[in-house]
Amino acid sequence: MQFKTFDIIPHDTKFDFVGKRHIAVALSLVVNLAVIVWSLPFVHGLNMGVDFAGGTEMEVQFGKAVDPADIRKTVEDLGFKGASVQTYGAEAEHTFLIRVERISLLTEADVARVADAVKAKLPVAGFAFNPEFGDKIDFQFSGAVDAAAVRAAVEAAGVKVRDVREEQGLTAGTRSYAVITQGIQENVQAGLKDHLGDAQPNVRRVEYVGPAAGRELQAQGLKAILYAIGLIVVYIGLRFDFRFSPGVVIAMLHDAIMTMGYFTITGREFNLTSIAVILTVVGYSVNDTVVIYDRIRENQAKLRGRSLSDIVNLSINEVLGRTFLTSFATALSLIGLLVYGVGTIFDFSMAMLFGIISGTYSTWFIAAPMTIWLEERAEKKKAKAKGAAAAAAAQPQARTAK
Amino acid sequence: MERSWYWRVALVVAVAILSIYQLVPSWFYFKLPPDQRNTEAYDTSVPGWAPDAKHHLNLGLDLQGGILLSMGVDVDRAVKTKVARRADEIGEFLKGKNVAFTGTKVVGGGAQVEVSAANPGEVKDAVLGSTGYSEEMYSPGGAPDGAVRFAFKDSVLRDFREKAVKQAEKVIRNRVDKWGVTEPDIKTKANNQIQVQLPGFKDPEKAKELLGRTAQLEFKIADDENPVLDQVRTQLPQCQGDRQGLSLPLPESGCWTVEPVELPSGGSRAATMVAANTRTELEKVITEKLNPLLDPQKNVVGIGEGQVGQGPIKTTYYRTYLLRAKTELTGDYIADAAVAIDQSDTLQRGRPVVSFKMSPEGARLMDKLTSENMRRRMATVLDDKVETAPYIQGRISSNGQITLGSGRNQQDMFDEANGIALVLKAGALPAPVTITEERTVGATLGPELVRKGTLAALVGLALVVVFMVVYYRGTGLVADVALALNGLLVLAVMSMIGTTLTLPGIAGFVLTLGMAVDANVLINERIREEMRAGRNVRQSVQLGYDRVFWTIVDSHVTTLVAGVVLFQYGSGPIRGFAVTLIIGLVASMFTSIVVTRVIMEYFTRHDTARLSV
Repeated sequence: MQFKTFDIIPHDTKFDFVGKRHIAVALSLVVNLAVIVWSLPFVHGLNMGVDFAGGTEMEVQFGKAVDPADIRKTVEDLGFKGASVQTYGAEAEHTFLIRVERISLLTEADVARVADAVKAKLPVAGFAFNPEFGDKIDFQFSGAVDAAAVRAAVEAAGVKVRDVREEQGLTAGTRSYAVITQGIQENVQAGLKDHLGDAQPNVRRVEYVGPAAGRELQAQGLKAILYAIGLIVVYIGLRFDFRFSPGVVIAMLHDAIMTMGYFTITGREFNLTSIAVILTVVGYSVNDTVVIYDRIRENQAKLRGRSLSDIVNLSINEVLGRTFLTSFATALSLIGLLVYGVGTIFDFSMAMLFGIISGTYSTWFIAAPMTIWLEERAEKKKAKAKGAAAAAAAQPQARTAK
Repeated sequence: MERSWYWRVALVVAVAILSIYQLVPSWFYFKLPPDQRNTEAYDTSVPGWAPDAKHHLNLGLDLQGGILLSMGVDVDRAVKTKVARRADEIGEFLKGKNVAFTGTKVVGGGAQVEVSAANPGEVKDAVLGSTGYSEEMYSPGGAPDGAVRFAFKDSVLRDFREKAVKQAEKVIRNRVDKWGVTEPDIKTKANNQIQVQLPGFKDPEKAKELLGRTAQLEFKIADDENPVLDQVRTQLPQCQGDRQGLSLPLPESGCWTVEPVELPSGGSRAATMVAANTRTELEKVITEKLNPLLDPQKNVVGIGEGQVGQGPIKTTYYRTYLLRAKTELTGDYIADAAVAIDQSDTLQRGRPVVSFKMSPEGARLMDKLTSENMRRRMATVLDDKVETAPYIQGRISSNGQITLGSGRNQQDMFDEANGIALVLKAGALPAPVTITEERTVGATLGPELVRKGTLAALVGLALVVVFMVVYYRGTGLVADVALALNGLLVLAVMSMIGTTLTLPGIAGFVLTLGMAVDANVLINERIREEMRAGRNVRQSVQLGYDRVFWTIVDSHVTTLVAGVVLFQYGSGPIRGFAVTLIIGLVASMFTSIVVTRVIMEYFTRHDTARLSV
């Protein structure tokens, strides 16, 4: 031979992938179902980030080690029940993710109380508060009032006011004021400074998503995943054959669920970035599958007469090295992100790694064998139909013969 | 060598050189400390032979700190206001027609107008029989005895809502413009949401404050007879340029020029205006140079936009208007505005104009204002920006019309008319906005993430590079060269189209490099296979590339689909990831199919060549 190579995977393996497919499919089904059940909100659920759940999230870094229990207590004492405090990034950075479900300090009851207090002093014609939007109460007055009086009336009811500003009246003669009350960020920041001031809390990032926006993002995320899968199926169908599509869909769903499994099992935050990972995994998973489909097609043309399951097995084995190496190379590029990546990026890379492994596995054991199964079913159906047609054709013939 | 080979080599070399050339501004951008990157220091540091300084690699909000705000436009309130005004207006209309009625009020959750009258049928006929009302309203059943109800058609309500959102976006643009934020990103999303990204902006409270306010529309009269601004000609340089427009960029200190204005007396005069490149620059000139000249009780300087260029290639500068200090009228009195086609005289016929309707009280004020200021310019000031300043041609009371300056193509005039109508509607439709989503990234976090992200990318990259050389030796080296070019190409394209690099974008970058290697692995494995099948090196390489071509395309396209979907649905940093992924995949197809093949063909040009693969 004129060249020397060393192969990580010997190039002439003869592993019976197709033969193992029943065990593999059963195993995958169990694992997938487990992930789905575990992800259901009333079983365990995903740790939905503010992107989807709505609420306020703050990344706070402290100058020295702080007990997360202290942070939680501080935040809960401020009136936020069920606040979540999570370490973020490396331990040495003393960084925490604090999440509260609410986006406003005000409850409907607070607003009603404030409105009553203002009505007692000023000619209120109407007021409006939208809990989805948070810290703003709109007042309309039927007569002349000034901003200072509005502010005084609201503050007398025990709500801290950041700003009062006049807006255009609804109709001529009325006057409208928007009262902006103190927000959660200021409140939490002040609370942390009061209680843990010597640990120098430093708010590095604040994210706040209203519940409506959260629902919207959730719907969009789901839509994105479904559209991506749909489009890929169409592409595969057009380039290869729609016979191959169901195998691809099942494999893609498998990988998407497995990637979601990373977030379920570890309890890491599931957010917009997680959707991005799932989509990338879906795209990547097909990547691997396509290589094998290509080979199956090539072999089908070359080896006419061999059974499909033989061809599939041969094809998987022929490109085994490739499949393994491409996945390995991609996984390798993620190592840096895993070691040095912070917060979101670490989760992104870890989930991606999960997805790559799952994608390689599903290519070997799910997508290709699925194709055989569908083919065999189609053959059987065809045979049955042929038999029936032959029988039907035979009958009138018999009659004419009579 | 084959002839086509030389062409391909030329292509590869050209792409490589262009990529490096394109990255020159980015190089100078990142050489500066973060706080100087968005200043003049950067512009001057880029050498003259380099591409335009604008085309540098941008950092996303998450990497340079800044604010992302999503704002919901309160369209329901906009509709309510509109209906309330229609109720007033219908009352006035009925009075004018001498139709007896006892009162109007808003019912049906703020969506319908109810008019009570002894003879409801007469009211109904009068209102629905008149043009204007009949087009937008109908009378549903269910009114109590002695009353008639009018409801808006669905298409009209939809139009109110859409206009409210558009108007809010315009206002937000104006306000952001005022702060001098470099490269803000403002766009309207589904569900009446407007998303604003302010990179480098540090004060979320201020942003929320200023963006959350409803807009104020005012009318002021231009004081063109007053020569007070002419004094500034000795203090500032004169603007360079010709009749087509100024030659931009203008001097940093601002400059003066004159514009011919018509005077009410019938004559005309060359009035001084001051122009500058940005609003911030112009404001500085106004405070330092112009305001000391003025009596604040009598005059103020308004800021408006001027444009140089034609068609889609227009550059904006900022200019002054000398206005009377008094606000003559506010947008509260405008009932409605729309674009119409001029029907009046023969010269103007067929041109777009802006027609507007005043509320009853507004009509009285407008009549007085226009009759006193005939042939003066009336500036409509939206949120402290002069949007338009047409001459008052005749008395305007309840129904007015703004005629546009001529001499441009129909489409430009139509766009301008639409803009003005929207501004006037701003007065008619107060659409308050509320924050529905806010993401603030502190300035210290960004640089730290850039550092860590770069390190992470470099480590991943180094591992891949080493792996390829160890496993494929010579061919691995070829793949590494392609990989380097791939990286350069992605960064170059990103700088060229001005997309932003985000933290997930860095991950996307690394991932695409991983996938580029992927393609090379596919090729090399295929070549090995062909060689095992007994072909010589040259044939193996040719066949390997030919046979693997579609596999590479397929595998790239499927991931590309995911990228495109992400781009469509993602927001903020995720979009950055999608863009990086898309560019990376396209670049990877080029480097793996074209670049490596050119190199491989060179080394295997003889049938007896040896290859370490």
